[in-house]
Amino acid sequence: MTRPPVRYRIITASLLTVAAIYFLVPVYWLIVSATKNSADLFGTFGFWFSEHPHPIDHLVDVLTYDHGIYARWFANSVLYAGIGAVCATLLSGAAGYALAKFPFRGREAIFNAVLAGVLIPGTALALPLYFLFSSMGLSNTYWAVLIPSVVSPFGVYLCRIYAAAAVPDSLLEAARIDGAGEARIFGGLGLRLMTPALVTVFLFQFVHIWNNYFLPLVMLSDSDLYPIQLGLTSWTGYADRQPVLYQYTVGGAFLSVVPLMVLMTVLQRYWRTGLTEGSVKS
Amino acid sequence: MSRDTLSRAEPVTPKQRAPQRRQRRASRTEARNRRAAAGFVLPFLALFGLCFIAPIVYAVHQSLYKTERTGPLGLGGREHEAFAGLANYAHALSDDRFLTGFGRVLLFGAVQIPLMIVLATTLALLLESAGARGITFFRSAFFLPYGVPGVIASILWGFLYVPGISPLVKIADSIGWDVDFLSRGTVLWSIANIVTWQFTGYNMLVLIAQLKAVPGELYEAARIDGATAWQVARHIKLPLIRPALVLTCVFSIIGTLQLFAEPMVLRPLASSIDSGFTPNLHAYSEAFVGNNQHVAAAEAVLLALVACVLSFGFLRLVGGRAKERG
Amino acid sequence: MTSNPMHRRTVLGGAAALAAGFALAGCGDSGDSDGDAPRERKKGQKINLTFWSWVPGIDKPVDLWNRQNPEVQVKVEKVSAVNGEQYAKMHAAIKAGNPPDLGQIEFPVIPSFLLDNGLLDLAPLGAARHKDKFFGWQWQQSVFGKGIYAVPQASGPMGLFIRQDLFDKWGVQVPGTWDDYEAAARAIRKKGAWIETFAPTNGNRFSGLAWQAGAKWYGTHGDTWIVNIDDEPTRKVADYWESLVKQKLVKTIPDRQNAWYKDLQTGAIPAWVGASWGDALLVGNAPGTKGKWRAAPLPQWKAGGKVFANWGGSTTAVFAKASYPKDALDFAVWLNTDPRSIALLIDGGYGFPSAKKGYATTDLDVDKDFFGGQAYSKIFADAGAHVDTSWQWGPGVDTLYQRLGDAFTDALADGSSFRSVLKKVQGQTLADLKGKGLKVESGG
Repeated sequence: MTRPPVRYRIITASLLTVAAIYFLVPVYWLIVSATKNSADLFGTFGFWFSEHPHPIDHLVDVLTYDHGIYARWFANSVLYAGIGAVCATLLSGAAGYALAKFPFRGREAIFNAVLAGVLIPGTALALPLYFLFSSMGLSNTYWAVLIPSVVSPFGVYLCRIYAAAAVPDSLLEAARIDGAGEARIFGGLGLRLMTPALVTVFLFQFVHIWNNYFLPLVMLSDSDLYPIQLGLTSWTGYADRQPVLYQYTVGGAFLSVVPLMVLMTVLQRYWRTGLTEGSVKS
Repeated sequence: MSRDTLSRAEPVTPKQRAPQRRQRRASRTEARNRRAAAGFVLPFLALFGLCFIAPIVYAVHQSLYKTERTGPLGLGGREHEAFAGLANYAHALSDDRFLTGFGRVLLFGAVQIPLMIVLATTLALLLESAGARGITFFRSAFFLPYGVPGVIASILWGFLYVPGISPLVKIADSIGWDVDFLSRGTVLWSIANIVTWQFTGYNMLVLIAQLKAVPGELYEAARIDGATAWQVARHIKLPLIRPALVLTCVFSIIGTLQLFAEPMVLRPLASSIDSGFTPNLHAYSEAFVGNNQHVAAAEAVLLALVACVLSFGFLRLVGGRAKERG
Repeated sequence: MTSNPMHRRTVLGGAAALAAGFALAGCGDSGDSDGDAPRERKKGQKINLTFWSWVPGIDKPVDLWNRQNPEVQVKVEKVSAVNGEQYAKMHAAIKAGNPPDLGQIEFPVIPSFLLDNGLLDLAPLGAARHKDKFFGWQWQQSVFGKGIYAVPQASGPMGLFIRQDLFDKWGVQVPGTWDDYEAAARAIRKKGAWIETFAPTNGNRFSGLAWQAGAKWYGTHGDTWIVNIDDEPTRKVADYWESLVKQKLVKTIPDRQNAWYKDLQTGAIPAWVGASWGDALLVGNAPGTKGKWRAAPLPQWKAGGKVFANWGGSTTAVFAKASYPKDALDFAVWLNTDPRSIALLIDGGYGFPSAKKGYATTDLDVDKDFFGGQAYSKIFADAGAHVDTSWQWGPGVDTLYQRLGDAFTDALADGSSFRSVLKKVQGQTLADLKGKGLKVESGG
């Protein structure tokens, strides 16, 4: 392969560097600020460390404040996003598979309803959902966040499109002739062939739930059930009375962002493989 | 939960060695299809009904009613719901702040979405071009902000916007440039920046994935024909990633209309963000601050309608050539 | 006042015209709670009560109560107080039929909850016998007709915080009147600083300033609400601050936010028209200015006057669906009168106790060193004793604050007059209350 001219490479490299600075500067600020106390947070230059950085002490403070509530929020977030995403993936996989592979009456109607579901802003649903869940006694429980989280119309959309392309009918037919039951065919063959799409759905839903603010905001009142984001905003809410909370908010933000960023970077490959399926075939 | 339904979908009698086997096969397949499909689709459908359809029905119902109070001063008397027709919609549509909010997010979308998509496309093309080095580092760097939730991104950028604390403002000041990220004129674009920062990398990744799906021979052939990198990008790559561009645009449109967390978090910092800054914020204020569930429901319905119309409209607009579903 | 159909005595609570209506309120409440009628705890029975609050450190007195009352365990659920979310949650929970037993509710929003039939009338439980334990006007804030709807916890008498060192350095007198205050603002502006900020979104403080000037935003006449935001005293206050803003003598940044704290730390803003609970704010957010602050009485409209107002202040209320109302009331009274509880609340930095006894004013000087040894709580105690007690709140105050904030923001942007803000908000509030199905008239 011929190498492009040097001039061109320099331009490319400088453009990419500028972009990288833009994307990384706030992250850099977060890292620097996580080592500061509230006074330094306001009092010192944001892009450089204060005279006495206390990275470890401050993070320990964050973790131990209010009987370790932060760890609990973190665990809640993991629970909501983890369990929610796993269930969402299985449900979407099964539904997408069926919509792709079984011709039955009403199939297109269902698919169109699901598509419309993709287009409806989730925040428009949260409030009516709250009243509905309240009447069922589910508000302010783990279920209030978990149940809506396992429904992913986009996941179904993606899985259907992927299954239609990646799961050959001939293979299914052969399995049926061998006498395998539908559940086994799906569990053994379908899921395996759909793996890239499923991983994508899982990641997509994981991030979606992790980042969701509105639903838990509306549903939860007991701070023991909060996910991290809600917890951190509640800290900023008390911060004028207890300024140390500014420092905890920043430290908490730092702690919560790190694992997700690592996850993002490590799992990039999977995002790439599955994500476009929806668009390639549409 | 899904295990139950799956086993139910399994046929009870797998083998039958009867002579009529052939004949019955067709109708059996039909029935079997229906049963299996039901087993696979129903768990999702049930929850979809609970979490999507039921709330929509409920919201539409709520939006058609109003609360009436009896009793002196309205305190302590019984309140009851009375049919209001479209009064709540009329109320919402005659509320200047709500409409301004709509105009604001439309303006936001019209500027921010193309900007972000162009940026994402440029970065994707640059990373996929032969001249780039350190691709893994750059790709990770660009994608990283996607892992930062909107609320936290807003808290973070909030610190970078507030005069007196922001190192950015300080740097600008020192070179004699007087910036205020939170003034009435700029705050919308400061929010646009947060959204762009968060989602460009994600969109870029989607586009890269599509670029990877393009067979390499196509590029080679073009290069042999003497096409420049720019020509390859313009005439081969761009048309090929069109479907991915459409997808990212649709998601961006929906995301824009939902704009909530960013203005909500920045609001205490910037008095230029009012309670109706975005339609979503307005609906939230109506429901939660004003305690007017009925008007809020009407606003939520309007919001969902606009989102659907815009997204479908966009699909239709660009789908002229490509065949599309829905 | 003369053109105002509102009858002053009616406002003061306990009026006969209202009584009938609120007697109905009691019926409405008990009628509603069909399945879960209030229960009486059997002796020795263990129960749990839920208490929604956002006050930092409230768990300490609650822990104490739980240790002393093993049979009545109170669980604090901390609700977020960002942008008034806590009330949003309470309203929603009432509507959904599953509110907690107890809640932290500020004075201004009590009527909004009555509109929802959200609060339990404590009068039938004999709450009146606790009346004398509290300052009269604060007790009165939750009395409507014959009903008693909450137990007061703390108030926020207003005052002026100043950086004495900077005032001395610049030769600026501590302002005794609002005219002095303007003069001080001018002098300080000449030194390159700003006396303080007029935060357009702070409807809470603006209402306090109007209160001091003698405004009466809400009233009742028969079964009609009277709304009077655009009255003469409020116009006076609006004109005053508009003039300061137009002369560029005050900033217009939001208060109690990062940028404002930064200005306090650096001395770019050397004063604050605040309230008693502001000490904790200054101590926490500007620790480097220790010893330099002083508290002074709120500037007066008439020299030598003694008219004050209240900003903030809250109650412990029992929700209408509380399962064990009697125990809930006992807890609410204990929380706000027991000396040990009060001591823990003061430690937490929460306001000026509503209880008359159980502490000494000097106990409140928790941050004496910060104020250079000044016994600053005396200033606020004195202000609290001279608050115009006829002020009454009405329904929908949260919306009102939001309307004011939006309108002031608009006015600052397009340069329209603050009087136009009052006119606009008056109109909007009338419409809002009508929209809620209430009878309402303009008092103007």
